[in-house]
Amino acid sequence: MFDDDINTDLIIQGRHLTMLDYSEMAKHTFEILRPEFAKEVKPDDIVIAGRNFGGGSSREEAPAVLKTLGIGCVVAESFARIFYRNGFNIGLPLMVVPDISSDIEDGQLVTIDFTEGTLTIDHSRVLSGEPLPALMQEMLEAGGAVQMYLKRK
Amino acid sequence: MLGKTLAEKILGSHTEQKDVAAGDIVVAKVDFLMVNEALTRIIPILEDMGVEKVWDPERILVVNDHWAPAADTRSAEMHIKSRRFVKDHGITHFCDVNCGIAHQVLPEMGLVKPGDLIVGSDSHTTTYGAFNAFSTGFASTDSALIAATGENWFRVPQSIRIDVQGQIPDMVMSKDLILRIIENLGSDGANYQSIEIHGPVIDAMSVGSRMTMCNMGVEAGAKCTLMTVNETVRNWMKTRASDVRWAPVEPDQDAEYVDQITLDLKKDPLEPMVATPHSPNNGRPISEVEGTPIDQAFIGSCTNGRLEDLAIAAKIVDGKKVNRDTRFIITPASTEVYMEAVKTGVVETLIKAGAVVTNSTCGACIGGGLGVLGPNEVCVSSTNRNFRGRMGHPDSLVYLASPATVAASALTATISDPRSV
Repeated sequence: MFDDDINTDLIIQGRHLTMLDYSEMAKHTFEILRPEFAKEVKPDDIVIAGRNFGGGSSREEAPAVLKTLGIGCVVAESFARIFYRNGFNIGLPLMVVPDISSDIEDGQLVTIDFTEGTLTIDHSRVLSGEPLPALMQEMLEAGGAVQMYLKRK
Repeated sequence: MLGKTLAEKILGSHTEQKDVAAGDIVVAKVDFLMVNEALTRIIPILEDMGVEKVWDPERILVVNDHWAPAADTRSAEMHIKSRRFVKDHGITHFCDVNCGIAHQVLPEMGLVKPGDLIVGSDSHTTTYGAFNAFSTGFASTDSALIAATGENWFRVPQSIRIDVQGQIPDMVMSKDLILRIIENLGSDGANYQSIEIHGPVIDAMSVGSRMTMCNMGVEAGAKCTLMTVNETVRNWMKTRASDVRWAPVEPDQDAEYVDQITLDLKKDPLEPMVATPHSPNNGRPISEVEGTPIDQAFIGSCTNGRLEDLAIAAKIVDGKKVNRDTRFIITPASTEVYMEAVKTGVVETLIKAGAVVTNSTCGACIGGGLGVLGPNEVCVSSTNRNFRGRMGHPDSLVYLASPATVAASALTATISDPRSV
């Protein structure tokens, strides 16, 4: 779980951007805020954050390192616009759930249903997310913008 | 039919349907694409897409600006790749490590014109709004799609209109105005939106001062920051792109805005502003932070590294000495700016005062080199972001200010009001 205004420098610092190998770069994900993050995170873990997740630099490396670590979805109260595009472009699911920060604690079990647009906490409490625009849904289903381009070509 | 905002008009003119409104998701044809070292990420995406030739080699600018000249072997490798790409695709416009920062060189080359739709692989692409162009930052995959097809999808943004009345006092700069505006808006106050900035203060501004403001609109989350054409833009176009035809775009009188803000600088005079760590939205009047000790004063970046920025700094330090407890680093935004500053004696004045003048690059602004901060160091900087760790060590602190404030602070080794030195 993260606070409001997690900018892309906090997700991956500018000084690591020259690394060409994403799996190498991903070791530095959230390094400043939670140095243990990359080591402890497990595939399909869900990142929860407050408002304006992914602001600042346009670096696609920010969603890319999260995807490389196997993050299943980022749920936030809102996303900065470039991060939002980038996430869907590379096939990292994002979901907007108002007030999510106050509804959940670190370590709880979360299940997400993208077609229904719902998020279930500990098999019991169900929260609704904002529905995805049709284009975003198509992109997610294709696996990203490049895959969608190839499909449409 | 409702009137249109600048964003609706410019974006609409690049779509098939022409008539678009805020909220629509549209496919638009792009006039120009700028790519920096993100090209290293774009090349493999183009390969995955099976693209052998880019959409238009004359409408792409490739720039090596973030680590220029190469700071280490990894950035050197990035530059090798971009040089090869430029050759393979016959790219007309290429700026290697000797040109400067993309957002300065693209307009200098006369490649931006009013009414254009421009995309760049960098969040500060909003800068060209100063030229009445809809310009916005995308990342690698979106840039690859444009490099391949010349188009992409856009959600037509809602618009916030800001009118600035009155005037900006001596030693106060457009940087102070934009710091005040983004403090008001907050880090996501304009998320997904277009900020239109109008009024006599904007009409009277130099091209450089306008670029500073449009550059930082993104720090409030804006997709683009737009201004109408003024005399200084007309003159710029005459000098830089005399053979290019263009027409200014104005918003309709009855355009629909989500918010309209008037800043009256007569009633509420503008003071030098300083954004405290770790957000550009932490703007405070300088009186609140005056006297804070600093280890480094930095002038540079796509925000404030232009001739007028270097010139005001030279005026402030002329005949004086940089305080021994600090260092003063200056990185001109472009080689052209650098040469003009040499010709006009600005560089000599700065060096005599004890400043270090580096080549043109993003450099210290992104912690890429030429002024990286160590643990617990404090920097007052004319750049755009003071996120934690942005200019170096995670425990360093960055205060954002105008070039005048930075220069005044270099003389005292504490944050100082340029009106008092």
